Amino acid sequence: MTDFAELLRVLSEKRVSFILVGGVAAVAHGSARFTQDVDVVYQRSSENIDRLVESLREHQPYLRGAPPGLPFQFDAQTVLRGMNFTLTTRLGDLDLFGEIVGGGSYEDLIEHTFSLNAFGIRCCCLDIETLIRVKRAAGRPKDLEAIAELEALLQDRLGESDRGD
Amino acid sequence: MTADFGPLPVDPVIEFYKKDLDRTLLRENLKLTPQQRLEKLIEMQRFAEELHRAGREARESS
Repeated sequence: MTDFAELLRVLSEKRVSFILVGGVAAVAHGSARFTQDVDVVYQRSSENIDRLVESLREHQPYLRGAPPGLPFQFDAQTVLRGMNFTLTTRLGDLDLFGEIVGGGSYEDLIEHTFSLNAFGIRCCCLDIETLIRVKRAAGRPKDLEAIAELEALLQDRLGESDRGD
Repeated sequence: MTADFGPLPVDPVIEFYKKDLDRTLLRENLKLTPQQRLEKLIEMQRFAEELHRAGREARESS
């Protein structure tokens, strides 16, 4: 079971620069769909990568779906040499993206976010228009219903005021 | 640097999927704050976990 609030808290407490994307961002926008992992786009500066690694260190990040016992070390060198990581941690599943299709990097996306305040944590969450755009660009059949839902939410929000954001 | 995104074109496949959406669920969610929406997700996750556990238990006892 993924502890959504705690995952966001450990990243925020270490001042990691990240943007909440994916299913949890969709739920924050009003999606009724279920999701089991947290997806974030992280900034790829060396300072931020150090903070990211430090924030997750005690939560035993490991490659999700990989056989146990691989010589995987979640350290700054690993993150610098890679880009996107699908991880399992003691707090649940966490996907880290250095870039996303249709959206690009943290720097490309940061202007397309809003400040999400939940569980006493303030973090950047991708806005609904950009979330739709990146899900469309990903081109995954499993996203079609999710995109339809987000577009319907956007249409409704344009017609009604939303309490949250 | 930020990406400059233009308007999205209408996608007929996505329009097709919209026909079957239960918009009442979405409108109820829009009445909630983002935190309340995330709390609903957490409740849903607990419920799914409990169903998985009950299913496992039923299979093991049969």
